[in-house]
Amino acid sequence: MSPAADGAPVILIEDLWRTYSMAAGLEVHALQGVSLAIRRNEYVAIVGPSGSGKSTLMNLIGCLDTPTRGRYVLNGRVVSELDDDELAQIRNLEIGFIFQTFNLLPRATALHNVELPLIYSRMPRDERRDRAREALAAVDLLDRLQHRPNELSGGQRQRVAIARALVTRPSLLLADEPTGNLDSAVSAEILQLFERLHQAGNTILLITHDRDIARNAQRVVALRDGRIESDVVKQDLPAVARP
Amino acid sequence: MSPLEGLRIALGSLVANPLRSFLTLLGIIIGIAAIIAVVSVINGLNVYVADRISNLGPGVFVVDRFGVISNREAMIRALRRNKKLVMADAELLRERALLADAVATEVHARDDLTVRGETVRRVDIGGISANVLEIEPYDVDGGRIFTESEVERAVPVAFIGADIADSLYPRIDPLGRELRVGNRTFTITGVAKKRGSVFGFSRDNFVKIPITLHRRIYGARNSINISVKVADPARMQDAMDEARLILRGRHHLKYDEDDDFGILSSEGLNELWENLTKIIFRVAVFVVGVSLVVGGIVVMNIMLVSVIERRREIGLRKAVGARSRDIRLQFLIESVVLTCAGGAIGISAAWLLAWAIRSWSPLPADFPLWAPVVAFLICGTIGVFFGLNPAAKAARLDPIEALRSEG
Repeated sequence: MSPAADGAPVILIEDLWRTYSMAAGLEVHALQGVSLAIRRNEYVAIVGPSGSGKSTLMNLIGCLDTPTRGRYVLNGRVVSELDDDELAQIRNLEIGFIFQTFNLLPRATALHNVELPLIYSRMPRDERRDRAREALAAVDLLDRLQHRPNELSGGQRQRVAIARALVTRPSLLLADEPTGNLDSAVSAEILQLFERLHQAGNTILLITHDRDIARNAQRVVALRDGRIESDVVKQDLPAVARP
Repeated sequence: MSPLEGLRIALGSLVANPLRSFLTLLGIIIGIAAIIAVVSVINGLNVYVADRISNLGPGVFVVDRFGVISNREAMIRALRRNKKLVMADAELLRERALLADAVATEVHARDDLTVRGETVRRVDIGGISANVLEIEPYDVDGGRIFTESEVERAVPVAFIGADIADSLYPRIDPLGRELRVGNRTFTITGVAKKRGSVFGFSRDNFVKIPITLHRRIYGARNSINISVKVADPARMQDAMDEARLILRGRHHLKYDEDDDFGILSSEGLNELWENLTKIIFRVAVFVVGVSLVVGGIVVMNIMLVSVIERRREIGLRKAVGARSRDIRLQFLIESVVLTCAGGAIGISAAWLLAWAIRSWSPLPADFPLWAPVVAFLICGTIGVFFGLNPAAKAARLDPIEALRSEG
């Protein structure tokens, strides 16, 4: 799927600005010249307190928003110049979203929830089914295919959401506070799953305000006031899930 | 996203809230059911009218005292002004109307029948001239209608309807038997073939006797009906004008006075009927149109509520790759599915209604096959029209805002 060879960045951000125009001509600079490169199969955490710009950065990386200024190249494509439909296509093919609140369709089965992104990429139904099963197998939920979200535990729901993110075999898993609604035992379980997905070759970007959670990643990028404060790669420390 | 997928989503959300869906659709259901029921009844009546009421046949018109009167004032005026038609009116037409081929007369009274101690009360006793047969074809089941000479000599003979034959002569052939009408005895010469009923009234409950005898028994007070068969049906209008002029002359009407009699023809009755149904239909379309527009607005509102309720779903769909047009299509399909479901329920209700009317009331109702097709087209149009705004709202939602919203 990826034209970029190993080692070439999946994400290349150069001097990214995002400015919100408020009422009365006020301007808020949520991002002020962020530059960042993330290579294939990196496991990166972006941390920062609220208001640091991490949500804005996540929206931009997730192609839900476009920057005011700067360049964003995702997997070789210059995203900052695309229109809405092209962005939708990129989101569909390149990005797997994982949200704090899971965002599953309440009336749909686990299988159908996981199939959803493939519906929008117009994959034939049978193939879709197979791929969704495969993704649910990767998160150990093959025995819950026909369950609806309200019949699943919080951890299981998040695993369905992770399967949905995996199903398109995206270049990037983008997780926004994925353990924010889970207790610590289940959080650890999810973080272990992330570790496993990372081992399997996925590129993961974890956005969190919690430095303890961020510690699970290979590399921690700290944001403050719309700028990168620090960028630490923990080569020597093995990533361990917290108890 | 394929329309089929949209259909599945739409059906899913329709079934998820059955009561809400039903209440939302009530306006459309009632509107569609009402219009189809009205159309069914009109359709049924059309067949009826063509078949049973305007059976005068082409080239026949009837002169009677009142004609067709559609309101009370006209009725009061006609009662005051219109003279009873008498045999002499018919005689004059027979003599003077050059465009007429045959002039027949008929007069009605009610009297009791008695056969071997059994009595049937207040039966329609018709006095007819022998040539009525030429104009209003009574199919004869057995025997014959009386002859010209029997009418002339006022012979007590009777031609009876099928109901009379069935009820008074259940297991025997009535031909040649005796029948008491009032206090006179008649010999039955013929039985008419069954003609069925109109609006619940049997048309086989009659006795026909020679008009000459009828006038003698029941007096000459009853106004007669004069049926005229035109020699050349192409000159129908001329023949009617001719008859009108002759009768106006006989009644000494001034040129600016209205007729004091009525002239009916098959065409005239049909025209009257068509005008009547047109009015009924227009009123129905108007009322139903209002109800459908209201129904459409309700659907639009519920769709707008649905868009707000499902903002997170919309945000999520966009996040995983739905384009704005996919979302728009989804909500449009949902709206159309909603209204068409209402249409389907309405059609079923109308079908049941038509069946009930047919079974339990004298009104005929014929459910036309094109009605469901038209109903679905209308419902689809309403769905698209009133779904456009909610669908556009859904499509315009910013995914970031939508994902952040509550719910």
